Amino acid sequence: MILDLHAHSDASEDSRAPLESYLKWLQRKRDLLPIDGIVLTEHRQWDAAADYRDLEDRYGILILRGAEVETDYGHILVYGVNDDITRRFDFTNVRLSAQEVVSEVTRLGGVAAPCHPGRPTIGLCEHYERKPPLDGVVAVEALNGGSRRGENERVQGLIERHGYGAFGGSDAHLVSLIGICATEFDDDVRSVEQLVAALQGGRYRPVDFREQVRAARGGA
Amino acid sequence: MSRTIDRSMVGEEFDHTEFPRITEAQILAYAASYGETDPRYTDPAAAARGPDGGLIAPPTFAVSLRGRHFMPRELPRNIGRNGFDAGKDIEIGVPIRPGDVLTASSTVHDIYEKTGRSGTMTFIVFRTTVTNQRGETAAVVDQKMMFR
Repeated sequence: MILDLHAHSDASEDSRAPLESYLKWLQRKRDLLPIDGIVLTEHRQWDAAADYRDLEDRYGILILRGAEVETDYGHILVYGVNDDITRRFDFTNVRLSAQEVVSEVTRLGGVAAPCHPGRPTIGLCEHYERKPPLDGVVAVEALNGGSRRGENERVQGLIERHGYGAFGGSDAHLVSLIGICATEFDDDVRSVEQLVAALQGGRYRPVDFREQVRAARGGA
Repeated sequence: MSRTIDRSMVGEEFDHTEFPRITEAQILAYAASYGETDPRYTDPAAAARGPDGGLIAPPTFAVSLRGRHFMPRELPRNIGRNGFDAGKDIEIGVPIRPGDVLTASSTVHDIYEKTGRSGTMTFIVFRTTVTNQRGETAAVVDQKMMFR
């Protein structure tokens, strides 16, 4: 089962991609992008009332939700967001303590996974150069579709040193970028609870569709 | 680098401007300025026969309407001095026509921070709501400014 674990719809202030456009795109590009589902990880927010079941049924694509929060160790994807987590943290605060996010999200039933770790300023690698490593990190986004040259490559050493699980996400902010990087799970993931369990379990790996997308556009 | 943003201005109206009556020449000049070719915006006679029943202003015309104050006077002290235009969103309402008397009300719609490759940024969204003489909304323009 393949899920894109990191995507931003137009609910994020820097994205212009309506959710339904992502779904249409994935439906149309099914031969290139075998994505079974996406996880919306909007910046610094959580909409408890959002319900995408109609869209899921219409397009046959699983839609899960998380959030991308900002901390003193860079950006972190939070999966399994629930009332306890949103009561504990103000997602709009760009100076959250990463250690608190990792520890408390885990305690409250979710998973907090640093994203784009190789990115300057907002990636884990740079912070680990001058601060102690975080306790309790189970996985990092090893493959990020929005990374610049060299940023994903930086993550390999981090994973080897700390034994983190590695997953992938497109970090799409534009429709045509959805699903270009994703995560292949050995187990079925049909709910946020299963996603949290799967990320803790470790039976997954990043998958990269960028080359085949490029080739299909005639740019390989 | 770390600063606390003051959100107390959010919702505050900092400008309220009534513009002189919109003229046909003003609309035609605006359309010509970027090479518009659609007769709805460029040809009064053809527009009169079209779906709008007369010349209307191009959708982005509302952005050209500037009030007396682009931003609250005290904002730079509050946020920082190095700001730049970070983009606009325009929600189009009823068409703007020659003869309309438009009023623009500008408020601080949102202030938020985010972090990126280059560090912490503060964004301020100024919302200008343009209404016509009948109180109908012609456009809502969100102007985003980035400060650091």
